[in-house]
Amino acid sequence: MDLRISGVGTRLGGRWVVDGVDATPPPGALTGLLGPNGAGKTTLLRLVAGLLDPEAGAVLVDDVPVHAVPRRERARRIALLEQESSSTVPLTVREVVALGRIPYRTLWGTDTAEAEAVDHALRSADAAHLADRPWAALSGGERQRVHIARALAQEPELLLLDEPTNHLDVSAQLSLLAFVRDLGRTTVAALHDLNLAAAYCAHVLVLAHGRLVAAGDPRTVLTTDLVREVYGVDAVVLTNPRTGRPVIAFGEAAPAPTPGAP
Amino acid sequence: MTAPPPPGPAAAPGTRPGDRAASGAGRAPWRPPLLPTLLVGVVLLVATVLVCVTIGPADLAVVDVARSIAGHLHLGPAAGEPGGVPVLTDAIVWELRLPRVLTGAAVGAGLALAGAVMQSLTRNPLADPYLLGLSSGASLGAVAVLVLGVGLLLPVAAFAGALAALVATLSLARVGGVLTPGRAVLGGLAVSQLAAAGTSFVIFWSATGDSYREILNWLLGSLAGSTWQSVAISTVALVVVGTVLVGSAVRLDAFAFGDTAAAALGIDVDRTRWVLMTLVALLTGAMVAVSGSIGFVGLVLPHAVSAITGPAHRRLLPVAAVVGAISLVWADTGARTLFDPRELPVGIVTALIGVPVFAVLLRRGRGSAWT
Repeated sequence: MDLRISGVGTRLGGRWVVDGVDATPPPGALTGLLGPNGAGKTTLLRLVAGLLDPEAGAVLVDDVPVHAVPRRERARRIALLEQESSSTVPLTVREVVALGRIPYRTLWGTDTAEAEAVDHALRSADAAHLADRPWAALSGGERQRVHIARALAQEPELLLLDEPTNHLDVSAQLSLLAFVRDLGRTTVAALHDLNLAAAYCAHVLVLAHGRLVAAGDPRTVLTTDLVREVYGVDAVVLTNPRTGRPVIAFGEAAPAPTPGAP
Repeated sequence: MTAPPPPGPAAAPGTRPGDRAASGAGRAPWRPPLLPTLLVGVVLLVATVLVCVTIGPADLAVVDVARSIAGHLHLGPAAGEPGGVPVLTDAIVWELRLPRVLTGAAVGAGLALAGAVMQSLTRNPLADPYLLGLSSGASLGAVAVLVLGVGLLLPVAAFAGALAALVATLSLARVGGVLTPGRAVLGGLAVSQLAAAGTSFVIFWSATGDSYREILNWLLGSLAGSTWQSVAISTVALVVVGTVLVGSAVRLDAFAFGDTAAAALGIDVDRTRWVLMTLVALLTGAMVAVSGSIGFVGLVLPHAVSAITGPAHRRLLPVAAVVGAISLVWADTGARTLFDPRELPVGIVTALIGVPVFAVLLRRGRGSAWT
């Protein structure tokens, strides 16, 4: 799927929370959406998902404005996982994943492919062993995995994730991002952890105050200057000797520019 | 430091469908197939109606009930004719008890449906027409028409009252465009108290001797005044609104993880919520118009039923309706016979059963959605 974000902007309470963002996340790869709290990451994801109509510009999916695509069709092509997603409904994991088939359901009951698609999504997200557990009894990492399975059950061409690694332990963070990266699907994930973005993303978009301030390969984008400019933090950018990818060490280092980013 | 990522699950095709059974991590709760469950429910409902009509001060047999009904449906000899039931028996069955039992069944089904739908739309397990003030609003509307002689039909006024209460509750509960489940119940409490006070005031203002009893009947609910007109009002509302609600089951499922998740699944969240809430107000209005505000049926039954059917609405809603019908008929039979010759408002019976269940729900619900 060909995704193009073209001059997109929207206001909340009179302020432009997303302001003229132009970006083209590479198809079939994981794109990291970075920026401090309040930079507009969640709002941009909602715009891309078509849940919010842009006041300026457009999000184009295969050259069609996403907010012009009928809801059901949109839900078959784009899946969005929210940052905080919980439920008081006593659902089993399988039932949670089956929610992803709602855009395919007819008025009465399920589409014939439902059980198969749910099984497939559970297996792809490595959550098949959880299928019959109550959703409420899962750990944070397992829940996130099940949410991914629910998104996969939508069979989306575009996957949008809002801070999917929040509240996960280190191992769960790493395996989740590796999994998403290896899906080979166009994915945009809002991330807080610059090191995770540096390690797993093919492409990063950096937002500040609603504007796109940098975009490209994390190895060239994530520099000392950028971290200071966007996050107001002094950092040293090193290179992981095993992967060749950038590692950002934050600290009280003097605000002198440090060579290191390749 | 970022270590080489652990083996990606995408590269771990070791899990096959069969692993699920072998893993032992948990077993799916057994859920009975829908159609046989509904069939059993309907058979039990018919039996309940026939049996409950026989219960009362004048002892009747199920056969008498069946013969009386057959006579009126021209399937057998009419009352008083050779082979028909005695005229007095027929009058007790056809004029007194059957309308009451059938109204109870329709009201119970309607309240259970309304509760299940509201719980999903507000994402609050405590939501029901009674707690969110709709029933009290409908009572106020109905009483105003009855007593002040406003030229509106009773169910229309009750619907208007329920809708006004719904709008008031949701306005109180919405903060910055977000509906918070906890505030919905608090808002409902305020609206409910106000409407109940209004109902009592209107009845007192026009006091005609027996106003205490009448106030109790509207505030606690009673099926004592049921006629064939009550049966018609409640059944038509149940069939029409109930069909639409059951037809919206998939959309209701989509709300399990909240508004944004529902929108991302292709649901028009605002439109769905308002349309379905308005239908619930309509249903509540019709039920309250014939029975006053009966509490706890809509609150308790959906939870009890979903323990068996699971939370998927296309299974939950029809079964909850049938179980609601059976339950309220038995509760009302208890209300009119337990302390014979005194009759309790049926709301007392439903509260006696419902409050302990409510307490259990409160103790179980420690999640953020409850605060």
